[in-house]
Amino acid sequence: MQQLIEYLVKELVDEPEQVVITEVPQEDATTYEVRVAPNDLGKVIGKQGRIANALRTVAKAAAMKHKRKIYVEIIA
Amino acid sequence: MDSEEKGIDITTLKPEHQIAVEVLTRICDCMEQNAYPVVRDVQGAYLNIEIMGDDMRSTYGRFGASLDALQLISNTIVARRTRGDVRVILDAGGYRERRIETLTERALEMAKAVKEHNQEAEMEPLPPHERRIIHTILMEDPDIRTYSEGEEPNRRIVVSPR
Repeated sequence: MQQLIEYLVKELVDEPEQVVITEVPQEDATTYEVRVAPNDLGKVIGKQGRIANALRTVAKAAAMKHKRKIYVEIIA
Repeated sequence: MDSEEKGIDITTLKPEHQIAVEVLTRICDCMEQNAYPVVRDVQGAYLNIEIMGDDMRSTYGRFGASLDALQLISNTIVARRTRGDVRVILDAGGYRERRIETLTERALEMAKAVKEHNQEAEMEPLPPHERRIIHTILMEDPDIRTYSEGEEPNRRIVVSPR
């Protein structure tokens, strides 16, 4: 899961080496915190949050077979 | 592997399309579902790719939202990598084909009701490529006309008696 989010985010930004994905496990869900270079924030969020929402949807679909709730948070 | 599984030979594609297939291959490799892309059709800039793999029907084939989301991200990445005009259309678990059947059924039912009551009716909001399918189907019916109303993502089709 982390690998998928990391690949997609790194392809979307200008500074892939600045991308950090942190997995934060909780009791009933896992949160993936996404950190990117300040100049790349807009690329990961997209117009009206379209890219950020799409990332969440794709991650949720990929997590379905693990029957686990996941969240993707983009940290500014 | 038979041709059904392999689809179109990637080496025959133009370079921009090959890059698109490479991107989809990388995405599939991250999916933990033995996933891989198969090129089904090429029409101008459009590249139809089906994602094969385990549980595709339950992960991407059941709801259009997850497939559309993956398609948006794939196209954004491919657009960054290529100068050329490339549009990837994704399918998985036979979703698009089943969806065309469902939309066709819904459109014909709607047209029948509109003619019976001689009153216009509105469909639920649909994405642009799905609205186009409905417009095309109902264009053949001389007794009704269709148009779209509202702003994305709530834009919807209105079927109206002529």
